[in-house]
Amino acid sequence: MAAGCREGGEPAGPRSDLPPRTFDAAGYYAAECAFCHGGAGQGRRGPALAPWAGARDELIASIDETMPFSDPSECTGRCAEAVADHVLSLSGELDCSAPPSAPRRLRLLTRREHAATVRDLFAPLGGGTTPSADPCTDGTTFRFTPSRAVSSVSVAGSFNGWDASAWPMRDEGGTWTLTRVVPEGSYEYKFVLDGSEWVPDPSATATTPDGFGGVNSVVVVRCGGAGPGVGVTIPDPTTGLPPETRPEAYPFDLQADDGIVTLVHATEYLSAAKRVADALGDSVAQLVPGSDRPGFVRTFGRRAFRRPLSDAEVGRYVELANLESDENAARRLIVRGLLASPVFLYRSEVGVLDGRQYRLDGYEMASALSYGLLGTTPPDALLDAAARGELDSDEGVRRTAESLLADPRARDTLRVFARQWLGLDAIGELSRETSLATRQKLREATERFVAGVLLDGGSFEDLLTARAIPADGEVAAHYGVSAPSTPWSDVELPSERHAGVLGHASVQLRYAHSDQTSPIARGVFVRRRLLCQEFAPPPPDAGGVPDVDPSATTRERFRQHTENERCASCHQYIDDLGFAFEGFDQEGHVRSEERGLPIDTSGTLRDVNGFGTRTDDSLAGIADLGVALSQSRAAQDCFATQWWRWAHGAPEKEAEECLVRDVASEFRRSDRDLRGLLVDVLASPRFRVRGEAMEVMP
Amino acid sequence: MKPSKRSFRGAIGRRGFVRTLMGAAVASPFASLLRPDLARAAGGGARRLLVFYFPDGVAGRSQDGDASLWEARASGGRITLSEQLEPLAGFEDRCVFLNGLQMGSADEGSHPGGAKKLLTNVDGGNGMSLDQFLASSVGRGAPFPHLYLGAQATVNGASGDKFISYPTAGTPTPPEDDPRRAFSRLFDGTVVAPTPGSPTTDPAVELELGRQRSVLDVHLAELADLRTRLGGAERRKLDVHLESLRSVERSLDRTEMPPVPPPTSSSCDDPRLAYDVSDETRFEASVFGRILDAQMDVMVQAMACGLTQVGVIQGGHHTSELIMSRIPGSEMYDPGFDMRSHQASHYGARHDRSNRNFVDYLAQRRWWVGKYRALLERLAAIPEGDGSMLDYTLVLFCTEVSDGNTHSHHDMPFVLAGNAAGTIATGRVMETGGRRHGDLLAALATAMGEPLAGFGWESREALPGLITG
Repeated sequence: MAAGCREGGEPAGPRSDLPPRTFDAAGYYAAECAFCHGGAGQGRRGPALAPWAGARDELIASIDETMPFSDPSECTGRCAEAVADHVLSLSGELDCSAPPSAPRRLRLLTRREHAATVRDLFAPLGGGTTPSADPCTDGTTFRFTPSRAVSSVSVAGSFNGWDASAWPMRDEGGTWTLTRVVPEGSYEYKFVLDGSEWVPDPSATATTPDGFGGVNSVVVVRCGGAGPGVGVTIPDPTTGLPPETRPEAYPFDLQADDGIVTLVHATEYLSAAKRVADALGDSVAQLVPGSDRPGFVRTFGRRAFRRPLSDAEVGRYVELANLESDENAARRLIVRGLLASPVFLYRSEVGVLDGRQYRLDGYEMASALSYGLLGTTPPDALLDAAARGELDSDEGVRRTAESLLADPRARDTLRVFARQWLGLDAIGELSRETSLATRQKLREATERFVAGVLLDGGSFEDLLTARAIPADGEVAAHYGVSAPSTPWSDVELPSERHAGVLGHASVQLRYAHSDQTSPIARGVFVRRRLLCQEFAPPPPDAGGVPDVDPSATTRERFRQHTENERCASCHQYIDDLGFAFEGFDQEGHVRSEERGLPIDTSGTLRDVNGFGTRTDDSLAGIADLGVALSQSRAAQDCFATQWWRWAHGAPEKEAEECLVRDVASEFRRSDRDLRGLLVDVLASPRFRVRGEAMEVMP
Repeated sequence: MKPSKRSFRGAIGRRGFVRTLMGAAVASPFASLLRPDLARAAGGGARRLLVFYFPDGVAGRSQDGDASLWEARASGGRITLSEQLEPLAGFEDRCVFLNGLQMGSADEGSHPGGAKKLLTNVDGGNGMSLDQFLASSVGRGAPFPHLYLGAQATVNGASGDKFISYPTAGTPTPPEDDPRRAFSRLFDGTVVAPTPGSPTTDPAVELELGRQRSVLDVHLAELADLRTRLGGAERRKLDVHLESLRSVERSLDRTEMPPVPPPTSSSCDDPRLAYDVSDETRFEASVFGRILDAQMDVMVQAMACGLTQVGVIQGGHHTSELIMSRIPGSEMYDPGFDMRSHQASHYGARHDRSNRNFVDYLAQRRWWVGKYRALLERLAAIPEGDGSMLDYTLVLFCTEVSDGNTHSHHDMPFVLAGNAAGTIATGRVMETGGRRHGDLLAALATAMGEPLAGFGWESREALPGLITG
């Protein structure tokens, strides 16, 4: 990015004295200002400039004195005048007349998606409870060995209406078993001991929160596709992979743009594929029973590639297998090849040419829906639906998305969304007195809260105003309330915390320092995560955190932010929001005073709908903040935007803001229907229409 | 874990690599940013490049104009170290102190802007970094062309702007933060580095190599398929993937000596890792020094074993919340007071010794210089040629801003150690007069046998006078 009012690209001398004739104000604006203010002055990370409500002189003075942010001395005098005139010519309206499309892209699986995918690909081989050779005819066998003497064990789950007495198990020398035919699908279940004690299956390969604070076990039944339980333990293929590289200010681990396969990745993928294949041993024979090698490649390959293989692709893997004479070794080598294949590692959102644009095909939609909502690879049934053309129509995609929300894994995925949206993935890396285990519990409570609001009929307002939180004993103790009778059922929080996630200790301790609160981090959290409003980094000479001063409160130590005009240009939007949280210390505990000094949590929520919108709300604390946010258009739009960012795996580029606005206005039109939003973003025709990847800087 | 002992037989000429690689570089999208110096004969004296990065700058020229407290000075043939550089006492003769380099004005004032330019010399990190360039050129023949190790560098959901290594324009890659994992990847014999031996020794090994080659063949064909369906940025992504698979492929065909062999026949006898930080405590400041020490050990042993020629060690990350006052045994240790790296760096407008932030900041900087010195000591202790590994390894000490409070990108604090087999005169202070730091990067590439007359933006020659022989 060229910096400065300059000609040609070489730094010019005293830049403010450039003759206006040679200065390209539009070019300068595009290079230096548009990143924050938008190409049309509509505002992006920074405030909207157009239409400019004030006087021309005011604008010139503001540019002269404060812009560009990185070096305010760069554009003064005539440069500032020329840029101001350019700003005055801008419409402030993003041109959405020619709807853009999201780029065609390959999305490298995240470690989370990769691990879940491998787990689910081999779930049929898991030990303990497993479907048998053909579970749709031979049944699924449940096995359980209680650690104490019991007089009865039964299976209750989504396949039998959670009836504790319907499916009694038989005691076979200490191990209780039962084989039942269960139709194809994914099910939750528990074992019931002595008719009253509900416990999950310790051998289950997948679990999901049961809504009562424990977990349900999950079994996946696939017709014709599984073998008897052989107790295979599949290693986690992602333990050696580097963490995802997130773009700045992008909250999620998804990496549609930034996921690249370096040498470290490549070697890890290859060695992990080998570890997984080796772990299969002879059970690989039961992966696709009764198949020949090409049949094995076609069937298992379709699961791995999330689409059918071409004949040429089948040929490659069959040929690869010719290296082995032993049949099981041949199949293991095929698995090993498939699991490190680029086709496996990247989720395809490439599409097929349809007129002048590309359109994601049914299989690509199956992947997008499955990873977006379930965090894992599409099950056979979904791939079959794609094969039948059911995902070719918008209605079919919508119906499928809605049905996936009923899958227990959707709740897990929304918990991950909540964790990353609120920045709580870093909660384990902080220096706090609160133990790591407790911090994780506090985070879990927040995740359960958000996922519950989204899935169980909560409202958008609940996210920012709710009075209750799911808690177990430890969480309840941190909040100083009595534990619920059933772990992870809702408890009412003390009144000072009646502000949805703003009242959660997880959020309060995450945005703080080891020895003090951080009103700045908390204020920026609200602006960035809840309002999607970004700030440029502080100017060079901003100074850092004021030192702890025993004679002043945290709030008083930050007074310079409002006293110094330059600081105030940003901090007027940040600090008061952080001060509203001052009633909570860096551990997320309530406090009424700081070193004996009274705490002041009052302030002003300035311009909630965007810098310069001149809407001020006065606040007495986080409860007011929650109400004001929940009623603001900016927070509603931002929540829709964050879900768009999740679904697309990348922050929106400027041209894509038209797409985001569509989603946000639909969310508002629907009266903020949260489930509708979850479905809409992925099921909208706008999601599947793609253009060529844009070669632009973010 | 039991480290496997390596042995190498034979030798292969590395000029071949260099030639192929220049071809690759010229054909790459970064060609315009790399200016091969065709006039200069290939071949510097350095065999390895090791970048040591630390966060949050130094006490340089202050906001109110106090003179820099970083720079070393030379007079009468003697080098006077600044108080921040003081831990390098005794190593002055092995170093070149580079004063006055600048990274340009774009994003000046920002930590991320500096981190992006540091090794790419392209604004916004929109170019390949020097380490990655060398890994894909002179270093590509090594079993591990690139080794990027970190100490708490990927914590706090660190976004990409905290990393300094760019395999492709605009997209950084994170370091490996876990010494155990780094060590086992290097020394436990993974797919990438089967113990070299003659081709016909062990049929089981040969069979496994055959499997690996065939698997790669399938993947290369699949990448080619994907590549024909995509353009632009996605194709560049696939190119990185392709180059990674090619590196793996080359390693499978390597049955002889790596291009830069272990310095002596015994320098790789017993690679080991002394490291006892638990997974539960690995994010704590109290163990930070132990993680960094372990990563330095892993890096030096990897180089001593001929496993890599290009390494980057990243200590922490910029705008760091690392509570340096909790590092036991350090000068700034104070269990009763939390002082974070970034917090100390904002010591105020003046160099005020009555200010706790400033005093701690100086102590923190000395701690980093001490770690750099420890790294040099490790290299100097391993014999190579007529001297030690340090004589064949370029060790660059760097951070993303100059003064930690002003975040200036001018007068950047670079120190280089290692004389590149006598081709770089050390024991000097070089006043560079405001040259772009890309000139230094180009000179480092040149010293590594990859002559460049510029690296990145506004860089038009390898830093004159750095290479003396």
